[in-house]
Amino acid sequence: MKKFLLYILGIFLLTVLIAVILDGFYTYVFMQSRNRGKIETVFNSTAKKYDVVILGSSRANNHFVSQMFEDKGLKTFNYGMSGGHLFEASLMLKLMIERKYEIKNVILEADLNLASDHQAEGIAALFLPYIHNSEIIKERYKNESNFNELYYIPFYRYVKYDGKIGWRETFFTLIHKKTNSLDNLGYHPLEKHKNGNMKNNIVNLNPLPNNKYYEEIKSICKKNNINFIPVMTPMCENVVGMNYFDKVKKAYRNSQL
Amino acid sequence: MFFNSLAFAIFLPIVFFLYWFVFNKTKSTQNALLIVASYYFYSCWDWRFLFLLVFSTFLDYFTGIQIEKSNSEKKRKFWFWLSILVNLGFLGIFKYYNFFAISFAEMFTSFGFKVSPFLLNVILPVGISFYTFHGLSYVIDIYYKRIKAEYNFIDYSLFVSYFPLLVAGPIERATHLLPELKEKREFNLDKAKEGVCQIVWGLVKKVVIADTCAVYANAIFDYYPSMNSLSLIVGAVYFAFQIYGDFSGYSDIALGVSKLFGLDLLRNFNYPYFSRDIAEFWRRWHISLSSWFRDYLYIPLGGSKGGLWMKIRNTFIIFIVSGFWHGANWTYIVWGFINAVYFLPLLLSNSNRNNMDSITLKWNLDSLKVLFSILTTFLLTCVAWVFFRARTITDAVLYLKRIFTNGEFSPQYLDNERYNYELILMIGLFVLVEWNNRTKVEPISGRRSMLKMALAIMAIIAFGTYSDYKEFIYFQF
Repeated sequence: MKKFLLYILGIFLLTVLIAVILDGFYTYVFMQSRNRGKIETVFNSTAKKYDVVILGSSRANNHFVSQMFEDKGLKTFNYGMSGGHLFEASLMLKLMIERKYEIKNVILEADLNLASDHQAEGIAALFLPYIHNSEIIKERYKNESNFNELYYIPFYRYVKYDGKIGWRETFFTLIHKKTNSLDNLGYHPLEKHKNGNMKNNIVNLNPLPNNKYYEEIKSICKKNNINFIPVMTPMCENVVGMNYFDKVKKAYRNSQL
Repeated sequence: MFFNSLAFAIFLPIVFFLYWFVFNKTKSTQNALLIVASYYFYSCWDWRFLFLLVFSTFLDYFTGIQIEKSNSEKKRKFWFWLSILVNLGFLGIFKYYNFFAISFAEMFTSFGFKVSPFLLNVILPVGISFYTFHGLSYVIDIYYKRIKAEYNFIDYSLFVSYFPLLVAGPIERATHLLPELKEKREFNLDKAKEGVCQIVWGLVKKVVIADTCAVYANAIFDYYPSMNSLSLIVGAVYFAFQIYGDFSGYSDIALGVSKLFGLDLLRNFNYPYFSRDIAEFWRRWHISLSSWFRDYLYIPLGGSKGGLWMKIRNTFIIFIVSGFWHGANWTYIVWGFINAVYFLPLLLSNSNRNNMDSITLKWNLDSLKVLFSILTTFLLTCVAWVFFRARTITDAVLYLKRIFTNGEFSPQYLDNERYNYELILMIGLFVLVEWNNRTKVEPISGRRSMLKMALAIMAIIAFGTYSDYKEFIYFQF
């Protein structure tokens, strides 16, 4: 039995060792990434200058044509991320500030995302490879309920979010396979769909009165002398519950929205 | 509590520790602990169905003794049929009632009578098909005087409820497992190490192969009308490996866990995709169920005695019943029927027992023929799996039809942001590993065991799918 327990201990230590090695390898690969997505591009970049930075969810990503700003002589990039909440938009802006970006204007798409102050798992996971290399990211996740597992168990974050930052994404990052998320200065036009007809029902959606990440973005801008421009983006007329926008106006009547 | 869950990773060491260090004095204490652990394991699914399990156990225990004690054939028959009817009654109510009610209603509607059937709003108790078959085999064996009735209720309960095989088999026989449970188990280092290797390999099959294939197979099957021929072909192949990895992975873990407790369960899979014909496939796939149907249905129906026609009739019966055992859906019945049709040429040519030897390949023409027959058998099983996986028979037929009518073989981008062919390399590697170890139970033990263990652990950690899938397919049966 003693031999067997030693055998099991050996397997356990082997597992830990493999997890540590894989963790180091994956993190190293992500630290080299520059052409896969917006998060790693910002994380692995140095100081940049922008006249306009666009933040928000897919509604920002799909609506703001950066080139139109560029044509006016404004250096612009659309950092909107499909599926993202204000949690990630705020974290993104913090990362930019940490990397000493000089930004004159931030356009924040703030409409449907005002209803949530949680992370969007799919997008939030993309920040996780850098959690040990960035105080900003670490601080942001510290209050999340699964922080300890994600931070201290080697390779756990890659296992938990394997669909986003697992071996597949690591492999593509390793071979520098490009995605289209950085094309068109970050703007991602929606393809024309034959039966395109957005029929969402947002009747039960309510904006949070003082969304903490909205307020955080606002204060970051103020602190860094960035002109903060929050906007609501157009919605397909078939959506049910259009009075949501009136609810936002009411809740944020003192804001610039 | 899934075998691939954190809860099980905590549960198993606790039971192991108690088994070998606290309750190791006699076989009774060992069995009592395993019973408590098994009932706890089962109650983690749904504690309400524990009563059904205990009732079924008690019924077969009691009727088994009554059959043995009865001094008249009439009484023996009474207790025998009581057990059979109650067991099948439970299975019928929980698993098949709604299916029959809906099917009859549809049939009447097609004749112009509008019928609104009364449907039961019940969920299927986990593992009911498996523990019912345990009980049935026990009672049938007593009735035919193949075994003696078990008078120790704890030992019998453990035979029915033993947690590694409780929810998805293998379907054990009283002749095999009960004698093991009657002896005090002594710790065996080699057996325990083998068990660990088998558990790890089972996990590789489940989380690396099955769950990853599931992501791709679902993306293809769920949107088959928009898929091209290439996608549909690889979708069927992915499902073939999903169900193999899922079910044989579960069986490997069950067998491995049992070895940790000093028990040997029946082998359930023997590299079925290396079969040279469909008869060999069924000798290698879900062996415990195939042999159950052979011994308790095919042979009582007359087996191969009574000429070719009887043989064909009985073969069709066991395949169709076997399909129906899997689930209350016409797709499973058609799946069973297709396998019976595959069997037909072998029966007619009396060659269903041709490939009983082990497979060896050399650089000659015969080996090429063997490879061709393996590939052909695999393709035939893939076609049948389409019916097993599809929601309806119409879906399955349209899926197969589209393979031949679409005619496009370009790589397609799936809804889950992956290309349809990306998994092929991993499956190829898996097949290669299994092929090179086809004479062993699993590929990890033996020479350079620790290196192979490290690679397997790395595969589980790095290549496993954790975000999408957990459940084992056969839990629903």
